[in-house]
Amino acid sequence: MSFRQTVTIITSHRERAGKTLLARLLVDFHQHEDRAVAGFDLDAGERSFARFLPDRVTAAAIDDIQGQMALFDRLVAADDVNKVVDLGHGSFDQFFEVAHRIGFAEEALRRSIAPAVLYVLTPEPAAIGRYRMLRDRFPGLTLTPVHNELFGSLHQRESHPLLQAGTTALRLPVLAPDLRKYVESPPFSFAEANLARATGIPLDAHIGLQNWLRRAYIEFRELDLRVLLADLSSSIRLPS
Amino acid sequence: MAKPAVILVGADKGGVGKTTVARTLLDYFNAHQTPVRAFDTEHPRGTLKRFHPDITDVVDVTAVPDQMKIFDTLGSAQAKVTVIDVRAGLLSTTLRALTDIGFIDSARKGQITFAVFHILGPSITSLEEIAETAAVIGDANYFLVKNFINNTTFFDWDPDTYNSYFNRIKGAEEIIVPHLSEMACEQVEVASTPFVTFVANKTAAGEAANYSFVLRGYVRHWLGNVWGEYDRVKLIDLVAPKKESAVRQQAAG
Repeated sequence: MSFRQTVTIITSHRERAGKTLLARLLVDFHQHEDRAVAGFDLDAGERSFARFLPDRVTAAAIDDIQGQMALFDRLVAADDVNKVVDLGHGSFDQFFEVAHRIGFAEEALRRSIAPAVLYVLTPEPAAIGRYRMLRDRFPGLTLTPVHNELFGSLHQRESHPLLQAGTTALRLPVLAPDLRKYVESPPFSFAEANLARATGIPLDAHIGLQNWLRRAYIEFRELDLRVLLADLSSSIRLPS
Repeated sequence: MAKPAVILVGADKGGVGKTTVARTLLDYFNAHQTPVRAFDTEHPRGTLKRFHPDITDVVDVTAVPDQMKIFDTLGSAQAKVTVIDVRAGLLSTTLRALTDIGFIDSARKGQITFAVFHILGPSITSLEEIAETAAVIGDANYFLVKNFINNTTFFDWDPDTYNSYFNRIKGAEEIIVPHLSEMACEQVEVASTPFVTFVANKTAAGEAANYSFVLRGYVRHWLGNVWGEYDRVKLIDLVAPKKESAVRQQAAG
């Protein structure tokens, strides 16, 4: 990959869409791949991303310019550290307004940093509107819709306009209810070393978690390829 | 050969951002490859000179030798555009001096392109300045600049009253300079560089700097909006019409 690092913004139109779980998984995936990673919790409501991974996630706020500098200057720092941002719906508009104004995507690309957005789909029409806004306003971002299978394929997969239109979505596999209880108390990391150390997880649950992680990580590898493809496409695009 | 152009940037009130506007003009002309020189009338200290030392001289615009330095060299200077940052309180005085030396007449005859950037403050005093200035500028291109860079509000103006002053000047155009974050302003001040140099993350000496990306982004966005205003009023067409039309012909293919 010609990019030195990635910045992945994980967001959705509303809360309880699964974005924090996705952010936690992505941090652990980077670690699993032996990549340096830092997380930023921009969900002022619960701050669960920071509570789950306190060693690797910093709470952020962009209400004032100092907070914006603390976050965005770090996101575009060419330090070979991958960045994962859990962007709460309450900060969505402000984040992308600032990002647009300061030329975040363009600056990241100029520094060989791949900027990506994982947008967790929810059924509301306004969620589609926001997705299209991101697509139209930020052509430099690799924008990928995320289908959280917890919402059910019947409910969403067949009716969601973006998925019907042939857009390839990243899938967030469902974690079986009997496994969820083991991973929902912060702090908690899906990293192998942590799972191996975790007490109180029966062997079959451990295997179940590993299977689920494997499926999630396959999706992230496809995301890597998508970012690489976007890079290749832009590098071979001939000047008009 | 293009005729010389003089742009006077001033206001009778202090602290309304004259030098800031002058700096954006110098950056704008440099970006358009239009040779420009500047005179800073904050004699003897100079504020504009701190940001654009290579092209700025500090002068006392009320002194005849310095008036000669500016106006007697209009035809011979390499830079065909001259920007004069007039110190607070000296706009009317300077305009009267220009009338006395026949400069305003030359502009009227079309020998010189003359533009006034009148930076307005929020108070009614600024409106009275407009009337006073209008009486002496003749046929100059007159731009009333509402400078919001420091979050100045103009709400204490009654629009009808403002328009009655504004309409007294034939062909006057309004330019809006939007707000820029205070911290971004301060950082450019501290860096003592042109806005463009700050955006490019360079020091005044041209070396790589380490300014905040966020602040640079804000400054770039703001400067783009200011330049958008200058484009809207066709400033380049005004001061360098031949060059611009050549560029347009080339672009048209």
